[in-house]
Amino acid sequence: MRSVGSKLELIGINKAYRRGKEQVPVLNNIHLQVHAGEFVTLIGPSGSGKSTLFRLIGGVERPDQGRILVDGNDVTGQRGLISYMPQQAALFPWLSVEDNISSALVTTGTTKVEAKQQAANWLERIHLGGVAKEYPHVLSGGMQMRVSFLRALLMRRNVMCLDEPFAALDALTRADMQRWLLDLWEADRRSVLFVTHSIEEALMLSDRIYVLSSAPATILREIVVPFERPRRADVWKDPAFVQLRLEVLGLLGSK
Amino acid sequence: MLGTHMLATFYLALIGLALGLIIGIIVAILIHVVPYLREAFAPLLVLSQNVPLIALGPLLMIWFGFGWTPKLILLVLVCFFPIALSILMGLGQAEPQLREYLGMIGASRWERLKRLEFPASLTYLFSGLRIAATYVVSSAIVAEWLGANKGIGFYLKLKFNGFDQPGVFGSIVCVVTLSFLFYYAVVIAERLIIRWRPRSEGDWKGASS
Repeated sequence: MRSVGSKLELIGINKAYRRGKEQVPVLNNIHLQVHAGEFVTLIGPSGSGKSTLFRLIGGVERPDQGRILVDGNDVTGQRGLISYMPQQAALFPWLSVEDNISSALVTTGTTKVEAKQQAANWLERIHLGGVAKEYPHVLSGGMQMRVSFLRALLMRRNVMCLDEPFAALDALTRADMQRWLLDLWEADRRSVLFVTHSIEEALMLSDRIYVLSSAPATILREIVVPFERPRRADVWKDPAFVQLRLEVLGLLGSK
Repeated sequence: MLGTHMLATFYLALIGLALGLIIGIIVAILIHVVPYLREAFAPLLVLSQNVPLIALGPLLMIWFGFGWTPKLILLVLVCFFPIALSILMGLGQAEPQLREYLGMIGASRWERLKRLEFPASLTYLFSGLRIAATYVVSSAIVAEWLGANKGIGFYLKLKFNGFDQPGVFGSIVCVVTLSFLFYYAVVIAERLIIRWRPRSEGDWKGASS
Protein backbone atom coordinates (compact mmCIF):
# COMPACT_ATOMS: atom_id res chain seq x y z
CA MET A 1 0.00 0.00 0.00
CA ARG A 2 1.21 3.52 -0.74
CA SER A 3 1.92 5.91 2.07
CA VAL A 4 -1.18 7.95 2.97
CA GLY A 5 0.64 10.11 5.49
CA SER A 6 1.19 13.85 5.50
CA LYS A 7 4.05 15.98 6.65
CA LEU A 8 3.56 17.54 10.07
CA GLU A 9 5.67 20.47 11.22
CA LEU A 10 5.74 22.30 14.52
CA ILE A 11 7.50 25.65 14.35
CA GLY A 12 8.63 27.51 17.45
CA ILE A 13 5.85 26.28 19.74
CA ASN A 14 5.58 27.96 23.15
CA LYS A 15 2.89 27.23 25.68
CA ALA A 16 2.43 28.27 29.29
CA TYR A 17 -0.35 27.60 31.77
CA ARG A 18 -1.55 30.01 34.37
CA ARG A 19 -1.24 28.65 37.89
CA GLY A 20 -2.60 31.20 40.29
CA LYS A 21 -0.80 34.43 39.45
CA GLU A 22 2.18 32.74 37.85
CA GLN A 23 2.68 31.72 34.24
CA VAL A 24 4.18 28.24 34.23
CA PRO A 25 5.93 27.51 30.93
CA VAL A 26 5.30 23.98 29.67
CA LEU A 27 6.70 23.99 26.14
CA ASN A 28 9.67 26.11 25.20
CA ASN A 29 10.44 26.76 21.54
CA ILE A 30 9.62 23.32 20.17
CA HIS A 31 10.61 22.67 16.55
CA LEU A 32 9.88 19.27 15.10
CA GLN A 33 8.85 17.54 11.88
CA VAL A 34 7.24 14.28 10.98
CA HIS A 35 7.81 13.58 7.30
CA ALA A 36 5.19 11.79 5.22
CA GLY A 37 5.21 8.12 6.16
CA GLU A 38 7.67 8.56 8.99
CA PHE A 39 7.48 7.09 12.49
CA VAL A 40 8.69 9.71 14.97
CA THR A 41 8.88 9.24 18.71
CA LEU A 42 8.93 11.78 21.51
CA ILE A 43 10.62 10.60 24.65
CA GLY A 44 11.01 12.51 27.86
CA PRO A 45 10.47 12.43 31.60
CA SER A 46 6.88 12.40 32.84
CA GLY A 47 5.31 15.81 33.14
CA SER A 48 7.44 17.13 30.30
CA GLY A 49 4.45 18.43 28.37
CA LYS A 50 4.10 15.67 25.79
CA SER A 51 0.37 15.44 26.28
CA THR A 52 0.10 19.22 25.97
CA LEU A 53 1.94 18.97 22.69
CA PHE A 54 -0.63 16.45 21.49
CA ARG A 55 -3.50 18.67 22.59
CA LEU A 56 -2.00 21.47 20.49
CA ILE A 57 -1.64 19.21 17.46
CA GLY A 58 -5.20 17.95 17.96
CA GLY A 59 -6.41 21.56 18.04
CA VAL A 60 -7.98 21.18 21.48
CA GLU A 61 -5.75 24.04 22.65
CA ARG A 62 -3.81 26.77 20.87
CA PRO A 63 -0.11 27.49 21.33
CA ASP A 64 0.87 30.87 22.79
CA GLN A 65 3.41 31.23 19.99
CA GLY A 66 4.34 29.17 17.00
CA ARG A 67 2.62 27.45 14.14
CA ILE A 68 1.52 23.95 13.25
CA LEU A 69 1.67 22.97 9.58
CA VAL A 70 0.28 19.94 7.79
CA ASP A 71 1.66 19.55 4.26
CA GLY A 72 2.77 23.17 4.43
CA ASN A 73 -0.67 24.59 5.35
CA ASP A 74 -1.09 26.44 8.62
CA VAL A 75 -3.55 24.41 10.70
CA THR A 76 -2.84 25.92 14.12
CA GLY A 77 -5.89 25.44 16.33
CA GLN A 78 -7.73 23.46 13.68
CA ARG A 79 -9.40 20.24 14.77
CA GLY A 80 -10.22 16.97 13.06
CA LEU A 81 -6.92 16.47 11.25
CA ILE A 82 -5.38 13.66 13.26
CA SER A 83 -6.36 10.24 14.45
CA TYR A 84 -5.57 9.50 18.04
CA MET A 85 -4.82 6.56 20.26
CA PRO A 86 -4.86 7.47 23.95
CA GLN A 87 -3.04 5.90 26.86
CA GLN A 88 -6.08 3.94 28.00
CA ALA A 89 -7.85 2.13 25.20
CA ALA A 90 -10.81 4.54 25.63
CA LEU A 91 -13.33 2.30 23.90
CA PHE A 92 -16.99 3.15 24.30
CA PRO A 93 -18.37 0.55 26.73
CA TRP A 94 -21.87 0.56 25.20
CA LEU A 95 -20.67 -0.19 21.67
CA SER A 96 -19.58 -3.59 20.45
CA VAL A 97 -15.94 -3.91 19.39
CA GLU A 98 -16.99 -3.66 15.75
CA ASP A 99 -19.19 -0.60 16.33
CA ASN A 100 -16.39 1.11 18.25
CA ILE A 101 -14.34 1.00 15.08
CA SER A 102 -17.09 1.64 12.56
CA SER A 103 -18.47 4.67 14.43
CA ALA A 104 -15.01 6.26 14.28
CA LEU A 105 -14.92 5.67 10.53
CA VAL A 106 -18.34 7.29 10.15
CA THR A 107 -16.85 10.42 11.76
CA THR A 108 -14.40 10.69 8.86
CA GLY A 109 -17.12 10.41 6.26
CA THR A 110 -17.30 6.70 5.49
CA THR A 111 -20.85 5.47 4.97
CA LYS A 112 -22.32 3.31 7.75
CA VAL A 113 -22.56 0.15 5.68
CA GLU A 114 -19.03 0.46 4.36
CA ALA A 115 -17.65 1.29 7.80
CA LYS A 116 -19.23 -1.87 9.26
CA GLN A 117 -17.86 -3.96 6.44
CA GLN A 118 -14.37 -2.50 6.81
CA ALA A 119 -14.37 -2.94 10.59
CA ALA A 120 -15.48 -6.56 10.30
CA ASN A 121 -12.84 -7.35 7.66
CA TRP A 122 -10.01 -5.80 9.62
CA LEU A 123 -11.02 -7.45 12.89
CA GLU A 124 -10.97 -10.76 11.04
CA ARG A 125 -7.54 -9.90 9.67
CA ILE A 126 -6.05 -9.22 13.11
CA HIS A 127 -7.68 -12.37 14.51
CA LEU A 128 -10.28 -10.56 16.58
CA GLY A 129 -13.20 -11.58 14.37
CA GLY A 130 -14.49 -13.82 17.14
CA VAL A 131 -15.08 -10.93 19.53
CA ALA A 132 -16.38 -8.40 16.99
CA LYS A 133 -19.87 -8.50 18.47
CA GLU A 134 -18.74 -8.47 22.11
CA TYR A 135 -18.65 -5.45 24.39
CA PRO A 136 -15.12 -4.17 25.14
CA HIS A 137 -15.14 -5.14 28.82
CA VAL A 138 -14.81 -8.84 28.00
CA LEU A 139 -11.49 -8.23 26.18
CA SER A 140 -8.07 -8.39 27.81
CA GLY A 141 -5.98 -5.21 28.07
CA GLY A 142 -3.85 -6.20 25.07
CA MET A 143 -6.88 -6.94 22.92
CA GLN A 144 -8.45 -3.61 23.86
CA MET A 145 -5.28 -1.82 22.76
CA ARG A 146 -5.37 -3.65 19.42
CA VAL A 147 -8.92 -2.50 18.85
CA SER A 148 -7.96 1.04 19.87
CA PHE A 149 -5.00 1.03 17.47
CA LEU A 150 -7.09 -0.33 14.64
CA ARG A 151 -9.63 2.40 15.27
CA ALA A 152 -6.88 5.03 14.92
CA LEU A 153 -5.34 3.34 11.88
CA LEU A 154 -8.57 3.03 9.92
CA MET A 155 -9.57 6.65 10.41
CA ARG A 156 -8.07 8.08 7.25
CA ARG A 157 -6.41 11.08 8.81
CA ASN A 158 -3.15 12.75 7.86
CA VAL A 159 -1.25 11.98 11.02
CA MET A 160 -1.62 9.35 13.74
CA CYS A 161 -0.86 10.47 17.27
CA LEU A 162 -0.22 7.67 19.74
CA ASP A 163 0.04 8.80 23.36
CA GLU A 164 1.90 6.17 25.40
CA PRO A 165 -0.44 3.50 24.12
CA PHE A 166 1.27 0.56 25.81
CA ALA A 167 2.10 2.13 29.16
CA ALA A 168 -0.58 0.17 31.01
CA LEU A 169 0.37 -3.25 29.61
CA ASP A 170 2.62 -5.86 31.18
CA ALA A 171 6.08 -6.36 29.64
CA LEU A 172 5.25 -9.51 27.68
CA THR A 173 2.06 -8.14 26.15
CA ARG A 174 3.91 -4.94 25.43
CA ALA A 175 6.66 -6.60 23.41
CA ASP A 176 3.98 -8.49 21.53
CA MET A 177 2.06 -5.31 20.80
CA GLN A 178 5.16 -3.49 19.52
CA ARG A 179 5.80 -6.27 17.02
CA TRP A 180 2.16 -6.33 15.99
CA LEU A 181 1.98 -2.55 15.57
CA LEU A 182 5.14 -2.49 13.48
CA ASP A 183 3.81 -5.17 11.14
CA LEU A 184 0.59 -3.26 10.57
CA TRP A 185 2.29 0.10 10.24
CA GLU A 186 5.03 -1.09 7.86
CA ALA A 187 2.34 -2.37 5.50
CA ASP A 188 0.72 1.06 5.31
CA ARG A 189 3.31 3.72 6.28
CA ARG A 190 1.21 6.42 7.86
CA SER A 191 2.89 9.43 9.47
CA VAL A 192 3.06 8.63 13.16
CA LEU A 193 3.90 10.73 16.18
CA PHE A 194 4.43 8.42 19.11
CA VAL A 195 4.98 9.22 22.77
CA THR A 196 6.64 6.82 25.18
CA HIS A 197 8.68 6.58 28.36
CA SER A 198 10.50 3.50 27.21
CA ILE A 199 13.81 3.98 25.40
CA GLU A 200 13.75 0.42 24.02
CA GLU A 201 10.28 0.97 22.64
CA ALA A 202 11.37 4.21 20.97
CA LEU A 203 14.42 2.58 19.37
CA MET A 204 12.46 -0.49 18.36
CA LEU A 205 9.72 1.38 16.55
CA SER A 206 10.85 4.72 15.21
CA ASP A 207 12.75 6.32 12.35
CA ARG A 208 13.67 9.33 14.45
CA ILE A 209 13.52 10.20 18.12
CA TYR A 210 13.21 13.59 19.75
CA VAL A 211 14.46 13.62 23.33
CA LEU A 212 12.63 16.16 25.47
CA SER A 213 13.85 17.75 28.68
CA SER A 214 11.74 18.02 31.79
CA ALA A 215 9.37 21.00 32.07
CA PRO A 216 9.54 23.47 30.46
CA ALA A 217 10.18 21.05 27.64
CA THR A 218 12.78 21.77 25.01
CA ILE A 219 14.18 19.38 22.48
CA LEU A 220 17.51 18.13 23.81
CA ARG A 221 18.47 16.08 20.80
CA GLU A 222 17.19 14.58 17.61
CA ILE A 223 18.34 11.01 17.03
CA VAL A 224 18.11 9.22 13.70
CA VAL A 225 17.54 5.50 14.27
CA PRO A 226 19.72 3.69 11.74
CA PHE A 227 18.13 0.21 11.67
CA GLU A 228 16.58 -1.00 8.41
CA ARG A 229 12.92 -1.77 7.79
CA PRO A 230 11.14 -4.06 8.11
CA ARG A 231 12.78 -4.03 11.49
CA ARG A 232 14.18 -7.30 12.82
CA ALA A 233 12.71 -8.63 16.07
CA ASP A 234 16.20 -9.01 17.58
CA VAL A 235 17.38 -5.51 16.73
CA TRP A 236 17.98 -4.95 20.46
CA LYS A 237 21.02 -7.22 20.23
CA ASP A 238 22.69 -4.82 17.79
CA PRO A 239 25.65 -2.98 19.40
CA ALA A 240 24.39 0.28 17.85
CA PHE A 241 21.09 -0.26 19.67
CA VAL A 242 22.88 -0.59 23.00
CA GLN A 243 24.97 2.48 22.20
CA LEU A 244 21.92 4.62 21.34
CA ARG A 245 20.08 3.37 24.40
CA LEU A 246 22.93 4.54 26.63
CA GLU A 247 23.04 7.88 24.82
CA VAL A 248 19.33 8.56 25.40
CA LEU A 249 19.58 7.33 28.97
CA GLY A 250 22.42 9.78 29.53
CA LEU A 251 20.39 12.65 28.09
CA LEU A 252 17.35 11.85 30.23
CA GLY A 253 19.45 11.34 33.32
CA SER A 254 21.49 14.50 32.94
CA LYS A 255 18.63 16.85 33.81
CA MET B 1 -66.65 -2.79 35.50
CA LEU B 2 -63.50 -2.45 37.63
CA GLY B 3 -61.54 -3.70 34.63
CA THR B 4 -62.49 -0.70 32.43
CA HIS B 5 -61.56 1.69 35.26
CA MET B 6 -58.23 -0.05 35.69
CA LEU B 7 -57.56 0.17 31.95
CA ALA B 8 -58.40 3.90 31.94
CA THR B 9 -55.95 4.53 34.78
CA PHE B 10 -53.35 2.36 33.07
CA TYR B 11 -53.51 4.39 29.86
CA LEU B 12 -53.48 7.70 31.71
CA ALA B 13 -50.41 6.69 33.73
CA LEU B 14 -48.64 5.23 30.69
CA ILE B 15 -49.09 8.31 28.54
CA GLY B 16 -48.21 10.57 31.46
CA LEU B 17 -45.00 8.64 32.09
CA ALA B 18 -44.07 8.60 28.41
CA LEU B 19 -44.61 12.35 28.05
CA GLY B 20 -42.74 12.94 31.30
CA LEU B 21 -39.83 10.88 29.97
CA ILE B 22 -39.67 12.78 26.68
CA ILE B 23 -39.95 16.18 28.34
CA GLY B 24 -37.47 15.14 31.03
CA ILE B 25 -34.89 14.18 28.39
CA ILE B 26 -35.40 17.40 26.44
CA VAL B 27 -35.19 19.63 29.53
CA ALA B 28 -32.06 17.85 30.80
CA ILE B 29 -30.24 18.07 27.47
CA LEU B 30 -31.15 21.74 27.03
CA ILE B 31 -29.92 22.62 30.49
CA HIS B 32 -26.75 20.57 29.95
CA VAL B 33 -25.88 22.11 26.59
CA VAL B 34 -26.71 25.69 27.61
CA PRO B 35 -25.32 25.89 31.14
CA TYR B 36 -26.75 29.30 31.94
CA LEU B 37 -30.25 27.86 31.50
CA ARG B 38 -29.49 25.86 34.61
CA GLU B 39 -29.41 28.95 36.78
CA ALA B 40 -32.43 30.42 35.02
CA PHE B 41 -34.57 27.30 35.32
CA ALA B 42 -33.43 25.69 38.58
CA PRO B 43 -35.79 27.71 40.86
CA LEU B 44 -38.66 27.12 38.44
CA LEU B 45 -38.04 23.38 38.38
CA VAL B 46 -37.97 23.16 42.15
CA LEU B 47 -41.09 25.31 42.33
CA SER B 48 -42.91 22.90 40.01
CA GLN B 49 -42.34 20.22 42.64
CA ASN B 50 -43.32 22.35 45.61
CA VAL B 51 -46.94 23.13 44.76
CA PRO B 52 -49.11 20.24 46.04
CA LEU B 53 -51.05 18.27 43.43
CA ILE B 54 -54.34 18.81 45.23
CA ALA B 55 -53.83 22.57 44.94
CA LEU B 56 -52.63 22.54 41.35
CA GLY B 57 -55.17 19.97 40.12
CA PRO B 58 -58.33 22.04 40.61
CA LEU B 59 -56.67 25.05 38.96
CA LEU B 60 -55.75 22.99 35.92
CA MET B 61 -59.32 21.65 35.81
CA ILE B 62 -60.65 25.20 35.75
CA TRP B 63 -58.28 26.16 32.95
CA PHE B 64 -58.39 23.03 30.79
CA GLY B 65 -61.69 21.32 31.63
CA PHE B 66 -62.23 17.74 32.76
CA GLY B 67 -60.62 15.92 29.85
CA TRP B 68 -57.14 14.41 29.53
CA THR B 69 -55.21 17.65 29.29
CA PRO B 70 -55.17 18.74 32.97
CA LYS B 71 -54.48 15.18 34.15
CA LEU B 72 -51.58 14.72 31.76
CA ILE B 73 -50.09 18.07 32.75
CA LEU B 74 -50.25 16.95 36.36
CA LEU B 75 -48.59 13.62 35.62
CA VAL B 76 -45.88 15.18 33.47
CA LEU B 77 -45.10 17.60 36.30
CA VAL B 78 -44.69 14.66 38.66
CA CYS B 79 -42.71 12.44 36.28
CA PHE B 80 -40.30 14.70 34.45
CA PHE B 81 -38.51 16.00 37.53
CA PRO B 82 -36.76 12.85 38.81
CA ILE B 83 -36.03 11.84 35.21
CA ALA B 84 -34.56 15.20 34.17
CA LEU B 85 -32.54 15.46 37.38
CA SER B 86 -30.95 12.03 37.02
CA ILE B 87 -30.17 12.44 33.29
CA LEU B 88 -28.62 15.81 34.01
CA MET B 89 -26.35 14.17 36.54
CA GLY B 90 -25.49 11.38 34.09
CA LEU B 91 -24.66 13.79 31.25
CA GLY B 92 -21.96 15.35 33.39
CA GLN B 93 -20.52 12.00 34.48
CA ALA B 94 -19.16 10.81 31.12
CA GLU B 95 -15.64 9.43 31.37
CA PRO B 96 -12.96 12.12 30.92
CA GLN B 97 -10.76 9.84 28.78
CA LEU B 98 -13.56 9.34 26.29
CA ARG B 99 -14.24 13.07 26.33
CA GLU B 100 -10.55 13.72 25.61
CA TYR B 101 -10.52 11.13 22.82
CA LEU B 102 -13.49 12.74 21.08
CA GLY B 103 -11.90 16.18 21.47
CA MET B 104 -8.66 15.00 19.90
CA ILE B 105 -10.31 13.48 16.85
CA GLY B 106 -12.28 16.70 16.37
CA ALA B 107 -15.80 15.58 17.26
CA SER B 108 -18.45 18.33 17.29
CA ARG B 109 -20.54 19.29 20.32
CA TRP B 110 -23.48 17.38 18.85
CA GLU B 111 -21.34 14.27 18.27
CA ARG B 112 -20.07 14.45 21.82
CA LEU B 113 -23.65 14.53 23.07
CA LYS B 114 -24.81 11.75 20.79
CA ARG B 115 -21.84 9.39 21.02
CA LEU B 116 -20.74 9.94 24.60
CA GLU B 117 -22.84 11.96 26.98
CA PHE B 118 -26.28 10.59 26.19
CA PRO B 119 -25.33 6.89 26.21
CA ALA B 120 -23.33 7.48 29.39
CA SER B 121 -26.41 8.98 31.04
CA LEU B 122 -28.70 6.04 30.24
CA THR B 123 -28.03 4.19 33.48
CA TYR B 124 -28.89 7.38 35.35
CA LEU B 125 -31.99 7.86 33.22
CA PHE B 126 -33.28 4.49 34.33
CA SER B 127 -32.83 5.20 38.01
CA GLY B 128 -34.89 8.37 37.54
CA LEU B 129 -37.45 6.48 35.50
CA ARG B 130 -37.85 3.92 38.30
CA ILE B 131 -38.74 6.68 40.74
CA ALA B 132 -41.17 8.25 38.27
CA ALA B 133 -42.78 4.88 37.53
CA THR B 134 -43.38 4.35 41.24
CA TYR B 135 -45.15 7.68 41.63
CA VAL B 136 -47.06 7.83 38.37
CA VAL B 137 -49.95 5.53 39.29
CA SER B 138 -50.77 7.14 42.63
CA SER B 139 -50.53 10.56 40.96
CA ALA B 140 -52.96 9.39 38.29
CA ILE B 141 -55.34 8.34 41.09
CA VAL B 142 -55.14 11.83 42.61
CA ALA B 143 -55.81 13.41 39.22
CA GLU B 144 -58.83 11.19 38.67
CA TRP B 145 -60.06 11.79 42.20
CA LEU B 146 -60.13 15.51 41.50
CA GLY B 147 -62.40 15.18 38.51
CA ALA B 148 -63.04 12.33 36.10
CA ASN B 149 -65.76 10.03 34.87
CA LYS B 150 -63.66 6.87 34.73
CA GLY B 151 -60.51 5.38 36.24
CA ILE B 152 -59.60 3.87 39.59
CA GLY B 153 -59.50 7.31 41.22
CA PHE B 154 -63.05 7.95 40.13
CA TYR B 155 -64.14 4.48 41.28
CA LEU B 156 -62.40 5.00 44.61
CA LYS B 157 -64.24 8.25 45.19
CA LEU B 158 -67.54 6.59 44.32
CA LYS B 159 -66.96 3.72 46.75
CA PHE B 160 -65.65 6.07 49.45
CA ASN B 161 -68.77 8.21 49.20
CA GLY B 162 -70.87 5.10 49.65
CA PHE B 163 -68.79 3.89 52.64
CA ASP B 164 -68.15 0.72 50.67
CA GLN B 165 -65.08 -0.72 52.42
CA PRO B 166 -64.57 -3.78 50.17
CA GLY B 167 -64.80 -1.43 47.16
CA VAL B 168 -62.09 0.84 48.59
CA PHE B 169 -59.83 -2.11 49.33
CA GLY B 170 -60.49 -3.43 45.87
CA SER B 171 -59.25 -0.21 44.33
CA ILE B 172 -56.17 -0.23 46.57
CA VAL B 173 -55.33 -3.69 45.26
CA CYS B 174 -55.71 -2.36 41.71
CA VAL B 175 -53.42 0.59 42.41
CA VAL B 176 -50.75 -1.63 43.92
CA THR B 177 -50.97 -4.04 41.00
CA LEU B 178 -50.59 -1.24 38.46
CA SER B 179 -47.67 0.28 40.36
CA PHE B 180 -45.84 -3.03 40.39
CA LEU B 181 -46.55 -3.44 36.71
CA PHE B 182 -45.00 -0.08 35.86
CA TYR B 183 -42.01 -0.51 38.11
CA TYR B 184 -41.08 -3.94 36.79
CA ALA B 185 -41.69 -2.89 33.19
CA VAL B 186 -38.98 -0.26 33.73
CA VAL B 187 -36.66 -2.79 35.37
CA ILE B 188 -37.07 -5.17 32.44
CA ALA B 189 -36.57 -2.38 29.89
CA GLU B 190 -33.38 -1.42 31.70
CA ARG B 191 -32.05 -4.97 31.50
CA LEU B 192 -32.86 -5.14 27.82
CA ILE B 193 -31.29 -1.80 26.92
CA ILE B 194 -28.26 -1.63 29.19
CA ARG B 195 -26.46 -4.80 28.27
CA TRP B 196 -22.87 -3.57 28.18
CA ARG B 197 -22.19 -3.70 31.89
CA PRO B 198 -20.39 -6.76 33.21
CA ARG B 199 -22.94 -9.28 34.50
CA SER B 200 -21.16 -10.00 37.76
CA GLU B 201 -18.18 -8.83 39.80
CA GLY B 202 -16.38 -12.05 38.86
CA ASP B 203 -15.95 -10.93 35.26
CA TRP B 204 -12.34 -10.32 34.30
CA LYS B 205 -11.72 -6.81 33.08
CA GLY B 206 -8.25 -7.11 31.61
CA ALA B 207 -5.16 -5.21 32.67
CA SER B 208 -5.95 -1.88 31.10
CA SER B 209 -7.53 -0.28 34.13
